[in-house]
Amino acid sequence: MVSVADLLTDGRLPGNYFAQDLYVRGSTELGLLENRRGDRLLAIPNPLLQAIYSGLDKETGQASHLVLYNCGRWWGKNFYARFCEELADYYKQPLANLSMAEFLQSFQQCWKTHGWGQIHLDITYRDRGFLGVEIWHSPFTAAAPQGQKPAGDLERGIVEIFFTQLTGRELRCAQTSCTAKSDDCNRFILGLEKRLAPVDAMVASGQAHQAIMQTLVQQG
Amino acid sequence: MTFKLDTLFDEPDKHYLDANDLSTLSQYVSSIPERMAVYRTLRDQEVAVMQPIADALQQQGGHAEALVERSVRNGLMVLRYAAMAMLLDDDAFVEDRLQGWLPEMVKAYETQAIDQQLFQLLNRQLSKLFSPAQVNLIKPSLEKAQSLMLDTRETVTLAGLL
Repeated sequence: MVSVADLLTDGRLPGNYFAQDLYVRGSTELGLLENRRGDRLLAIPNPLLQAIYSGLDKETGQASHLVLYNCGRWWGKNFYARFCEELADYYKQPLANLSMAEFLQSFQQCWKTHGWGQIHLDITYRDRGFLGVEIWHSPFTAAAPQGQKPAGDLERGIVEIFFTQLTGRELRCAQTSCTAKSDDCNRFILGLEKRLAPVDAMVASGQAHQAIMQTLVQQG
Repeated sequence: MTFKLDTLFDEPDKHYLDANDLSTLSQYVSSIPERMAVYRTLRDQEVAVMQPIADALQQQGGHAEALVERSVRNGLMVLRYAAMAMLLDDDAFVEDRLQGWLPEMVKAYETQAIDQQLFQLLNRQLSKLFSPAQVNLIKPSLEKAQSLMLDTRETVTLAGLL
């Protein structure tokens, strides 16, 4: 029999840890924004983001994509560790005991509450070894130079590392659509490196996300 | 916090509160003792309210234990948030806190059908426990939570990933 009292052993019912009004706090007298654990948060002004893109482009040219991608990976590594730590603390149990539903929903809420847009997972091609990630309303690609090339290199890095650490497999991430080239959102594909190899050429030749996915799935 | 009365307190730079504003405030203040009484009952009777519902879901509904546990957890969570919303007289509180969370969990664990039954049983329990006037205090937040839970249009399914 289900015992309601047993379900409430410590009286807690963990919910949305990242609920916006709970998560973002501050020591305003010190001029600090903080999250609910007291870790520092920072609001980045849009012109600063634009300045970073523009400065990198001026100093490094084409290499700026690689620089941002590496920054994204660095960010992702730390983000993953902190995210897991926060969740384990909140749920008061090792992360391995947490269900995938709670984990991924927390990830989506975390992303949103930090103001990085809405992140969604697309599992249509999961059986073929690909995981899709969509980011809507990205502040990063909104501030990036607009053109023909995807510009979500920061996000590509963070997503790649996040899911590599989550799955324990060395995943690669490729971007197929981007708001910086007038697509509706940023789309990424995660998979093993050799299976994603053809993607860059297809993106460069202007193929759309759906067409790229078709080709990837057909090549088996 | 999205306390409904916040809007009253937001504008001292513009003007003093007028008679209508003060009357809103005074209505809220005079309703507090009743809200607290209902809140206390819900708090103290949490297990007593929910246990018969869990039993009914399992025995009459014939649902598996794990599913009943999941649904009862949803019910407990909704009731706690609804109780707080009632204390604050703010239905939006339920929405702010549960949106982006509870509907996704309902979908991921496929508890829609059993949750419906749980809500029916819950309403019956509450009408046994409270006067109609008291039920009306908590009802708007409960209904808000219920419609939120069953409306999963915008959510991305995680169910296939589990």
